[in-house]
Amino acid sequence: MWQQVEQSLHSSMARVMNKIATLLPGILAFIVALLLFLLVGWLLAALVRWILAALRFDERMSRGAGAMAEWTPRITPSLLIARIVFWFCIVAGVIVGASAYEAGTSENILSGWVLAYLPRVIGAAILLLAGNVLARFASRSVLITGVNLNLSYARLLSMGVRWLILVLTGAMVLDHLALGGAIVELGFGILFGGIVLALALAVGLGSRDLVSRSLEREAARPVEVPQPERIHHF
Amino acid sequence: MADTELTDAAQQQAESIGSADVVIGVAGPVAPDDLRAGAAKVVAERGSDASSLRYVFAWPASNGESVPSAAAADGDSGLALVPFVAPPSGGEFWADVSAHQRAVLALAASLNARVCIVLGSDLAALQPQAIQLFAYAVLERQCGLVMPVYPAGKYDGLINTGILGPLHRALYGRRIRYPVAFDFAVSGSIAGLLAHSSSGHESGALLWPVAAAACESPQCGIGQVHVDVRHEVATDGLELSAVLGQFAGSLFQEMENDAAQWQRLRGSQPAPVWGSAPRDNGNGEPIDAQPMLDSFLLGSKNLDEVWRLVLPPNTMLELRRLTRAAPDQFRMPDDLWASIVYDFALAWRLRTIGRGHLLGALTPLYLGWVASYVREVSSFTRAAVEQRLEQFARAWEEKKPYLLSRWRWPDRFNP
Repeated sequence: MWQQVEQSLHSSMARVMNKIATLLPGILAFIVALLLFLLVGWLLAALVRWILAALRFDERMSRGAGAMAEWTPRITPSLLIARIVFWFCIVAGVIVGASAYEAGTSENILSGWVLAYLPRVIGAAILLLAGNVLARFASRSVLITGVNLNLSYARLLSMGVRWLILVLTGAMVLDHLALGGAIVELGFGILFGGIVLALALAVGLGSRDLVSRSLEREAARPVEVPQPERIHHF
Repeated sequence: MADTELTDAAQQQAESIGSADVVIGVAGPVAPDDLRAGAAKVVAERGSDASSLRYVFAWPASNGESVPSAAAADGDSGLALVPFVAPPSGGEFWADVSAHQRAVLALAASLNARVCIVLGSDLAALQPQAIQLFAYAVLERQCGLVMPVYPAGKYDGLINTGILGPLHRALYGRRIRYPVAFDFAVSGSIAGLLAHSSSGHESGALLWPVAAAACESPQCGIGQVHVDVRHEVATDGLELSAVLGQFAGSLFQEMENDAAQWQRLRGSQPAPVWGSAPRDNGNGEPIDAQPMLDSFLLGSKNLDEVWRLVLPPNTMLELRRLTRAAPDQFRMPDDLWASIVYDFALAWRLRTIGRGHLLGALTPLYLGWVASYVREVSSFTRAAVEQRLEQFARAWEEKKPYLLSRWRWPDRFNP
């Protein structure tokens, strides 16, 4: 009996080793493809940066609409393009590596699922990046404008704007990744709708008396003659 | 390049004029009849020394506007009226003014004028005495550029007093009271230089005559004249942060363009002044600086994370100390304010944060300086204010090595 157990164990170990041996060439092919495309990406990015520097691309872009520079001030346009080229090569390397893995292992799991899902992941990453940049830009704009308008709640307003955009971005990313399904849409709808309804009720019902008193005071206030400004900044 | 476009009729007129001795151009929309009346008065009251000079008065005509029939060149009085079409600008007020100023300068250069006098569109400076002073400084005193000194109270033109004037002086080594003005005069050679200065290539860029003259022609003499002119700028709808941003942003851009020149300059030269200074109008009542102080405190509470990206730790420490000071003891030291503006100029160059955000974040700091300045000079006489401003400007010059260090090694030198 013990011999039979030993034989079973040996045969299962052999199958495992056989499986690993089958997978190894595919994994190796994936790593080699990725490293190769990493090198190609680095070289291409350096070449693109050199070409754009020779063309004075950053100066020309800063003379035109400076929208890109305003949204991502620390990253020059040429650096941004070089990074896009680099990461494009990395993504291409991943795809080629996955195909090489598939060819090496003779299994079609990746082509059936991972490759089909990869564009969604890329799209979601882009959405997340754009949402973060937009949230940071919008919150800072609201903060600075609010402070210059002497609004004491400028920081609160800025945080609110930031989180609104981040929540919206998160919902869009999850929707793009097809995660959560209807739950995400429903949850987002309830959250946003609830916030808006709560604000409307608070302002409409809660401040009803305050608004009417304020209007009465405004109507009863005598007309003030505006005093001439004594400080002239310009 | 800011090219001047002349209407067809005006082109013919300019060709028939050929050249002129004095070109007086209006940098903004103006009624031709008002200009003609003022021009006739100027020409009629010109001194005997100037009787042989040929005057050309130029104004910006809108497309399709015909030259008034009475504007033909009058050979006997030495006066001619020429319309021109200024190139489009960014649409903002000062950008429009600068575009018109460049167009006037280009016209003067094309007419080989000996003197070009640029005036504001309200024609407040179209006075015989002011025109004679400008012409005198250029023709008799051989100045390449003549800037005005307006009669201003101690609470007037605070952006100029607090930022533009001292920064200009520290960078370009010329003690000019108003480095950007509605009215100024240039010699013929400088007119061409200013009209085609490097900043003219950028749409909406302001014209900085002193900076351009100091960089393009370092030997050019720059003088000032007292002019009893008050320009009323319509301030309704103008937001302080927008105007401050426009001026400061334009000057920071000019700094970046001229970095190779101003880094070589040390100290400053006095600029001669002609004409008689206006009478002192008295102290005036003290102004309540609390609203400005409140704006500064609100900014320090909310914009700390933004300021930290721009200002070094030492400066942030000083600002925090200021926020804890009692209102009646609130005083922003001159070198602190100078270093703040220098750091913002550096952040503009390095694009540490978006430039629009950078300029917006400067406003509460500027209001803090204004609060400190207003409290300090409330009881000063005119002479005491001038002395104080001289001390203030010197502090900027003494802080220039700090700017140079940070400009050249922004990562390594961060006190």
